[in-house]
Amino acid sequence: MIFSSLIFLYLFLPLCLLSYAAVRSVRSRNIVLIIFSLIFYAWGEPTRIIYLLLSALVNYICGLGVGKIKTEWVRKIVLGISLIYNIGMIGWFKYSGFLMENINAIFGQHFPVPEVAQLVGISFYTFQVISYVVDCYWEKIEPQTNPLKFLLYVSLFPQLIAGPIVRYSTIAAEIDNRTTTVQDLSEGLTRFVVGLGKKVILADQLFRIVDNFLGGKPESLTVLGTWYGIILYSMYIYFDFSGYSDMAIGLGRIFGFHFDENFNHPFLCKDITEFWQRWHISLGSFFRDYLLPLPVFGIRNKYLSLGLVWLCTGIWHGASWNYILWGVYYGAFILLETKIGKKKMRKIPLWIRHIYNKLVIIIGFGIFYFEDFGQLGHFLLNLTPFNPNGFFSYFEQMSFYNNLFLIIAAVICTFPLLELPKKLTAKFEWTTPVVSICGTVLSVATLILSSILLVDATTKAFLYYRF
Amino acid sequence: MTTEQAMARLTEVFRNVFDDDDIVLTANTSAKDIEDWDSLEHINLIAAVEKEFKMRFTVKEVSGMKNVGEMAQIVCERAKR
Repeated sequence: MIFSSLIFLYLFLPLCLLSYAAVRSVRSRNIVLIIFSLIFYAWGEPTRIIYLLLSALVNYICGLGVGKIKTEWVRKIVLGISLIYNIGMIGWFKYSGFLMENINAIFGQHFPVPEVAQLVGISFYTFQVISYVVDCYWEKIEPQTNPLKFLLYVSLFPQLIAGPIVRYSTIAAEIDNRTTTVQDLSEGLTRFVVGLGKKVILADQLFRIVDNFLGGKPESLTVLGTWYGIILYSMYIYFDFSGYSDMAIGLGRIFGFHFDENFNHPFLCKDITEFWQRWHISLGSFFRDYLLPLPVFGIRNKYLSLGLVWLCTGIWHGASWNYILWGVYYGAFILLETKIGKKKMRKIPLWIRHIYNKLVIIIGFGIFYFEDFGQLGHFLLNLTPFNPNGFFSYFEQMSFYNNLFLIIAAVICTFPLLELPKKLTAKFEWTTPVVSICGTVLSVATLILSSILLVDATTKAFLYYRF
Repeated sequence: MTTEQAMARLTEVFRNVFDDDDIVLTANTSAKDIEDWDSLEHINLIAAVEKEFKMRFTVKEVSGMKNVGEMAQIVCERAKR
């Protein structure tokens, strides 16, 4: 099931909220959330929910093992079992086909290629349980002894399918005891509707245009058409993924959970290093905390560690060479910025830094989009004056004028708009009721408009579902 | 080795790694206090401290160290010279 569907908005969520409100104790509320979370997952994966439950069981036992056993070598073995199981599951469900295809291609063999359908959300919930078991091993957290509470952590539906990758320590206390204040409810609902609007009103509509340009024959696009398509794709992917994160964080708030932010207006970054401090923050912090400190081949060196992190970032995004190239591409620019140094980077005029990072980000999303390297090559060529199709055509001109309001709205929404009412009410207290009423009206309008668009659309899954 | 001796040698290491002779360390000094001390530079810093004191930090220590005081404490417990 996905958040931006009528069945979720008008059946699943109301039923879940009513059931949640109907019971009082935290234990009962946890059970309600577990039941609804399992239904949420099973909606799309009715039989394969077994793998989610198995992951919860294995990591519950391993967490207890590394947390409670005193003998160090036994703890290491239990940690090893957990890591092998988790990485093995991701490896099998996500990369086995890709790996075998490449082995066949490199060695000229014809081994059968496993046809394994990917498990929805496996990269997200598996990274959560890895962080949990490692934190237990490092004695940063106490292992959860109650299996139901641990199952809630793993399966909690707001962040189950596409993140954020929530650390156990972030919500451990709230799993034990939580309340939903009026402020939580109000801000959670608002945040959810903002995310819904980003997804349905902006991302899905932007993708319609992107598909017309990049999804057809990208080799036949003009210079301007290629830039137009990829700039809109960059905005699409931001609104799609950050919209999902907004909905997840908002839903969490409604149920009394406070997840960490996953996006912080990434397009406002001044360099690529900062972009990754603002984009998919929970993935970056996972690699920072669990992968970066590892010596590479026994050697502690920041460049080797950087290479490993960006290789893994690319691989994490999918079983395709373009994602690996995308990770290495970003690693190279971050390496460059590290070599230049923060102080020298700051001396570069801001407008040059903005042009530089936007170019890198936008071209990067081109690498992300094209899984076919032939098409990627045409795309990269078509961005340049060597494009054989010319600079400009009627096609992109028409598209731009027809979608002008959507594009303007999308550009404006990349800025931190929600900060404005907060700043306004902080400065002029008398504006609070007016801002509150306007916020409610806008939220209701966004919900209605999103619902209308959903009635008239084939439900489009979030891009990050497949990761 | 006393904590003071460890701090004095750590100060030299920090000054070399961050190329800043004005760095003065206290037990509470953390990444927030030194601009260039980010997660990536932390790896180089750890490597330099390990070389200076001929010891190895565990992955848990590399990931979880909160300030220079914690670093000095580990160094004092484990340093070989």
